Amino acid sequence: MKKYTNTYIFLYITALVVVIAVVLTLVSTGLKPRRDRNRQAETYQQILRAAGHDIDRSKAVAAFANLAEPLTDDGQQYRVIFADGSKGTAIRLDGKGLWGPIWGYAVISEDGQTLKGISLDHKSETPGLGAKITEEAFLKSFKGKKLYDKDGNFVSVRVLKPGTSTEIAEENRVDAISGATITSRGVDEMLQGIKSDN
Amino acid sequence: MKKYLGPLSKDNPILVQTLGVCSALAVTAQLKPAVVMALSVTVVCACSNFIISLMRNTIPPRIRIIVQLLVVSFFVILVDLLLQSYLYDVSKMLSVFVGLIITNCIIMGRLEAFALSHRPFPSFMDGVMNGLGYGLVLVVVAFFRELLGSGTLWNNQVVPDSWYAAGYLNNGLMILPPMALILIGVIIWAKGPKAV
Repeated sequence: MKKYTNTYIFLYITALVVVIAVVLTLVSTGLKPRRDRNRQAETYQQILRAAGHDIDRSKAVAAFANLAEPLTDDGQQYRVIFADGSKGTAIRLDGKGLWGPIWGYAVISEDGQTLKGISLDHKSETPGLGAKITEEAFLKSFKGKKLYDKDGNFVSVRVLKPGTSTEIAEENRVDAISGATITSRGVDEMLQGIKSDN
Repeated sequence: MKKYLGPLSKDNPILVQTLGVCSALAVTAQLKPAVVMALSVTVVCACSNFIISLMRNTIPPRIRIIVQLLVVSFFVILVDLLLQSYLYDVSKMLSVFVGLIITNCIIMGRLEAFALSHRPFPSFMDGVMNGLGYGLVLVVVAFFRELLGSGTLWNNQVVPDSWYAAGYLNNGLMILPPMALILIGVIIWAKGPKAV
């Protein structure tokens, strides 16, 4: 076997790392505008989806200009138009799931009483369990839920295990995903935070 | 050509060498991510085999594992960036699994066992065939898991509504990783010890 000196080994590995780093940096920088466009389009698509518009990602940017406008500069709130022409407010949600961040948008009716729709996304929740928060079956259970109870107190929309709580009225809660307790709790906590924005 | 066909059956990385089983459990709940994962692993395996083979006479043996890891990580990050830029939906679906290609033992195994001692073209072919052998098992397992677990194939419903109305239920166990392990065990058993 050929004998390699320590100097050779150090130079070899240093050169390799530098080459790889430079190439990856170039590729990453070169593709950044494209990645950012994809992310931006996805955010717009998410907001529109929460407002009940089912729009393809490729058309989301164009549609967004007609259907929504930012209310704040930081991207936290948007004014959106529903399919029936009425208006509402989309509020950015940020929270924690089991493995990483979860986020989404909650769209609230103009009078601030009703949750018109919600969209959720996650970084790395378990497929088949926590990742189900992005599925239509879960999302549609939020539609039309009330943010205030019968006495006018703010309760937001709670995400609770089916059959556990009797204190919170049906119109103020949705069923959590079984097997995904922590992700469901994350969604619950994000919705609790709506009040401070309104 | 025939000499490269081993990984498809006789030397199948999952069924015979039992490598890469963990990722085979993780991505086979549905057909679509399984196919994309199989393609990604094939690309990474073939490219890193090719590059390592080109470098094989310059790599100091004492640090060869580190060099292999660097090359594999390079291709995985490259694949991830390209997916995010050009196939955004697929990249979302695979999310964490793309990064986990780095730890797929099939790739490191082929670099150690083949690329370090063979010329670039045979190494490239070896990577392609091992990736396909891995993909073949993934697709078979994902087919049964998606069909029996969700009643769909490639996200299209195939079990008719009338069956559900008559009391047919999807098998929830199929969705969970343990069932993938059982299925792979069944395939290994059915294949038997014969060297075909």
